[in-house]
Amino acid sequence: MAQALKSAAKYPPKTVRVKIKRYSPETGREWWQVYEVETYRGMTVLDALLQVKEKRDHTIVMRYSCRMGVCGSCGMIINGTPRLACQTQVSMVASEENPEITVEPLKNFPVVRDLLTDFTSFFEKHRKVKPYLIRRDTQEQENPKTEYRMTPEELLEIYPYSLCISCGLCVSACPVSASDEGFLGPQALAQLWRYTADVRDEAWRERLEIADDENGALKCHFAASCSAVCPKAVDPGGAIQMLRSALLKYKLGLWKKRKISEPVPPLEPTGEKVPLPPEAQTLPGVDLEAMEREPVVIDASKLLD
Amino acid sequence: MAGRGERRFLKNMPGWRASFNPWILKLPNNPERLAFVLHRVTGILLILILFLHITVTTTPATRGWEFWVEEIRKAQGITPVTLYFFIFAGIAIFHGLNGIRLLLVEFLGCCVGKPEKPKPPYISATLKAPQRTLLYIVFALWIILWMIAGYIIFT
Ligand code: HEM
Ligand code: SF4
Ligand code: FES
Repeated sequence: MAQALKSAAKYPPKTVRVKIKRYSPETGREWWQVYEVETYRGMTVLDALLQVKEKRDHTIVMRYSCRMGVCGSCGMIINGTPRLACQTQVSMVASEENPEITVEPLKNFPVVRDLLTDFTSFFEKHRKVKPYLIRRDTQEQENPKTEYRMTPEELLEIYPYSLCISCGLCVSACPVSASDEGFLGPQALAQLWRYTADVRDEAWRERLEIADDENGALKCHFAASCSAVCPKAVDPGGAIQMLRSALLKYKLGLWKKRKISEPVPPLEPTGEKVPLPPEAQTLPGVDLEAMEREPVVIDASKLLD
Repeated sequence: MAGRGERRFLKNMPGWRASFNPWILKLPNNPERLAFVLHRVTGILLILILFLHITVTTTPATRGWEFWVEEIRKAQGITPVTLYFFIFAGIAIFHGLNGIRLLLVEFLGCCVGKPEKPKPPYISATLKAPQRTLLYIVFALWIILWMIAGYIIFT
């Protein structure tokens, strides 16, 4: 989004033409509709759409929520590229020479109306890969006393994949998802790898069998378009290739999870005190030792006078 | 048209076009998509060429060896036959070179991006990984080998 930072400082053209692809589920009609929008510096495409909805045509249907690239609901095809509308500056996609912005619903998702797409099958596929930690000791997992051990390096192995916001841009860009409704798709497969690679998880065999399904990882042809459009740099394309090679080795009997972490033993108070660093000084009149012996009670009612 | 009160979702899938038109979407920083399309097209063309090859090599059986040898002797300079060889060389060289890259990446998980902490400008690790260099090498080698093949075929 470095581009977004630069273009946020730039002024967009004074007015832009927002060309919206519309669809009516009652009549089955599809058409393009153009609206002129007055812009301001920092305006996003989502802002422009909302302005159209507020001031010009309240029948436009779309989905959005957070307006800050977190919820993953505002994915659309903007000037031919799958993007989050709230993370796309108008100045990024429109210029004085070409002040037109085309907005279409995400491809490879059924369109409910206008820009609103149906994610039912997307979430079903996500659910299919069992996107949660699975332990053999379910008793321990249901009533945990401590957490599972995980080093920062082990966390990094899955960290980028865990940032997925389920926006569906990757599925929309995927040429396999474009012709095959059954394909699990980049989002679900990346999450499958995210849990398979997690040291705290014990269900790797189960998940690799899901990846081995005819609709699984082997359908990927590494066009890497998913990685190119992902707004969170989740890199589903890379995750799927790692999953694939693990799957190949697993089928040859050569792959086994390197490590499965154990719960951290219950922490015992050691009584050890962490000394203050030498540069830290208490305010005059504060006696730390006395405060430890007798906890300070602050009477809130006295604070008010 | 849907009946009264009935609502129908629009199936919005480009289908096979997404496999053959690399510009169906504007995808910045994605030469892998072009390679995918070229690999698919060359793979299919190789199957067709294989059939053509089998058909053509039955000629000595139907029209005699003299005719065959004479035809091959005539294939000098730019003729339909040498042009066909040249096109075949281009197709086979790309498919073979990129095929090696795909075997490395897809089967061995080699050269893809290692998981890293995402930082601005949030570019997926695989798009900066050695597979990208490999892809540029494939494109460069393809053109060079194809030109060499052209030199050999046409002279
Ligand atoms: C140097 C020899 C070759 C190598 C290294 C090679 C490698 C590959 C690889 C790795 C794939 C999978 C690509 C993917 O996952 O998207 C593939 C696909 C394919 N290959 Fe080859 N191949 C070779 C020769 C051939 C020949 C001689 C033919 C035809 C007779 C052929 C036809 C195909 C076809 C039709 C596909 C499917 C394309 C697709 O699904 O996109 N290949 N090749
Ligand atoms: S992997 Fe990226 S593009 Fe795909 S759903 Fe998750 S955040 Fe969106
Ligand atoms: S509105 Fe939440 S990601 Fe755009």
